[in-house]
Amino acid sequence: MSAVAAAPSKLKRTGLPVPLIIIGSVLLVFVCLFPFWWMGLSSIKTLRELYTIPPIWWPSMPTLDNYRKVLFESNIPRYFLNSVVVSVGSTGLALILAIFASYGFARFNFRGKPLLQSFVLVGQLLPTAAIIVPLFITLRVLGLVNTYWGLILVYMILTLPLSVWMLTSYFKAIPVELEEAAIIDGASRIGCLFRITLPLSIPGLVSVLVYAFVTTWNEFIFALCFATDSSVKTLPIGLAEFSTEFNTDWGAVMAASVVMTLPIAILFLSMQRLFVGGMTAGATKG
Amino acid sequence: MQRQSTGYLFVLPALLVLGLLIAYPVAYTGLLSVTDNQGNYVGVENFARILGARATPTAFMNTLWWVFGSIVFQVILGVLAAILLNQNFRGRAIVRSVTLIPWVVPGIVAATTWAWMLHTEFGIINYMLTAPGIIPEPVGWLTNGSTVLPVMIAINIWKMFPFVAIMVLAGLQSIPNDLYEAARIDGASFWEEVWYVMLPQVRPVIVAVTLLLVIWALNHITIIYAITRGGPANRTLITPIQIFRTAFESVQFNQAAALSVMFFAVAIVVVFIYIRTLASNAGEAR
Repeated sequence: MSAVAAAPSKLKRTGLPVPLIIIGSVLLVFVCLFPFWWMGLSSIKTLRELYTIPPIWWPSMPTLDNYRKVLFESNIPRYFLNSVVVSVGSTGLALILAIFASYGFARFNFRGKPLLQSFVLVGQLLPTAAIIVPLFITLRVLGLVNTYWGLILVYMILTLPLSVWMLTSYFKAIPVELEEAAIIDGASRIGCLFRITLPLSIPGLVSVLVYAFVTTWNEFIFALCFATDSSVKTLPIGLAEFSTEFNTDWGAVMAASVVMTLPIAILFLSMQRLFVGGMTAGATKG
Repeated sequence: MQRQSTGYLFVLPALLVLGLLIAYPVAYTGLLSVTDNQGNYVGVENFARILGARATPTAFMNTLWWVFGSIVFQVILGVLAAILLNQNFRGRAIVRSVTLIPWVVPGIVAATTWAWMLHTEFGIINYMLTAPGIIPEPVGWLTNGSTVLPVMIAINIWKMFPFVAIMVLAGLQSIPNDLYEAARIDGASFWEEVWYVMLPQVRPVIVAVTLLLVIWALNHITIIYAITRGGPANRTLITPIQIFRTAFESVQFNQAAALSVMFFAVAIVVVFIYIRTLASNAGEAR
């Protein structure tokens, strides 16, 4: 028994040569992180240190002045709040609708189901540019341009198909026998869903939430079209405004970038496993 | 227990919302494309006008460059990174997390940070290239017509290759150990293992991811729009941005709709190839 287990280790161990691993890893980390390091560094430089040739690698007088500008003298805090409202709203609403739809897809057979499921998948992959004009006209007719509801509704294009797609595969993985037993004991379908299926798919729900939240938080083009008033503009638009004005204040732009990236970075680093799980499931599970 | 009507009830709310947000706008785009702004039927006039515009062929060629340039390097770099991350070495978990960061951060943050790094006078990239004499003098990366599109493609590659890496890595990790052992007993070197075991095994993943990248390259216009808006002199104008600008800057909704219809037709072909591929992958796995 032990001889069999030991056999593979006796074979020549193949793998990348160690120097290549080291060079590759250093290169990879450098390429991925350098822009953020430079962003952070630029955000604590004074104006003079930002605009010098050659660039200064480490500021001699680190300053929080850029952050003061961003947090107290700009609309960024307001945009931050707008982003939170819109992202939470559309993620939550999409999740509720997706729970029911996914349960329907996972547990029932009905005519046209494959067609309807393809429709959902196409929705997830549809190029946004192709429908942005009629969406704008529709929102204008409904009086929803420049409202939270308008953005929340439009963002469901991004969050809903994805949530349905991911949750359906989670629900399918839960043994149906559990529910059959409950139904024999007199539970209703809704009771089954809320008492059995949902508690068992909490990891799935969380990864749907995280993924949908990040998607809406990062969204730019819809926000650019449908939120032109500063009362509803989201953070990405605020950041773009900062950098397209005539004289770009790069220190403040970098500080605003840090403010915008931090929530995502924290969310990602604390829930990485769920995040990656959701992403791989959403992209290729058939 | 498996009553059809109950299944419909579960999926109905989500499908109504998606219908309102996707099916209706798509149909409405079709209507807009054959009418003028008073709503009178004008046949193919909008199509003729927009196809006759000088920017249209330029945008079409730029889009081809943008899509193919991005994807080739995203896939190559992504696969290389995945092979590296599939090795056993200390600190692998950290390198893997770091690799994902460009993909997770908002596109607008990536755009502004790179724009600052590529600044002609004060940008760190020109400094890093001129100081050791790699290039003789600073280059106006974002203002020079011949560098601006390759630079945009490079930023897009940086943003999306982590996604390829993580998807391929998941594929590599699901390869049964027997295959490696068989290869090692036959005396395969590491690179032979890569070529004859790893790549054939993850081929379905690579195909699916590539199609998804095509769809996303057509969809994600944040980087280009935020940095150059399609300029200078239309050098970075791609079709989705042209749609956007025709609609919201020139306020030619009907011509924008005509362009959307053609863009949509191309995109939907890619989407259907992707769905077919997913279906056949799932079939092979069974």
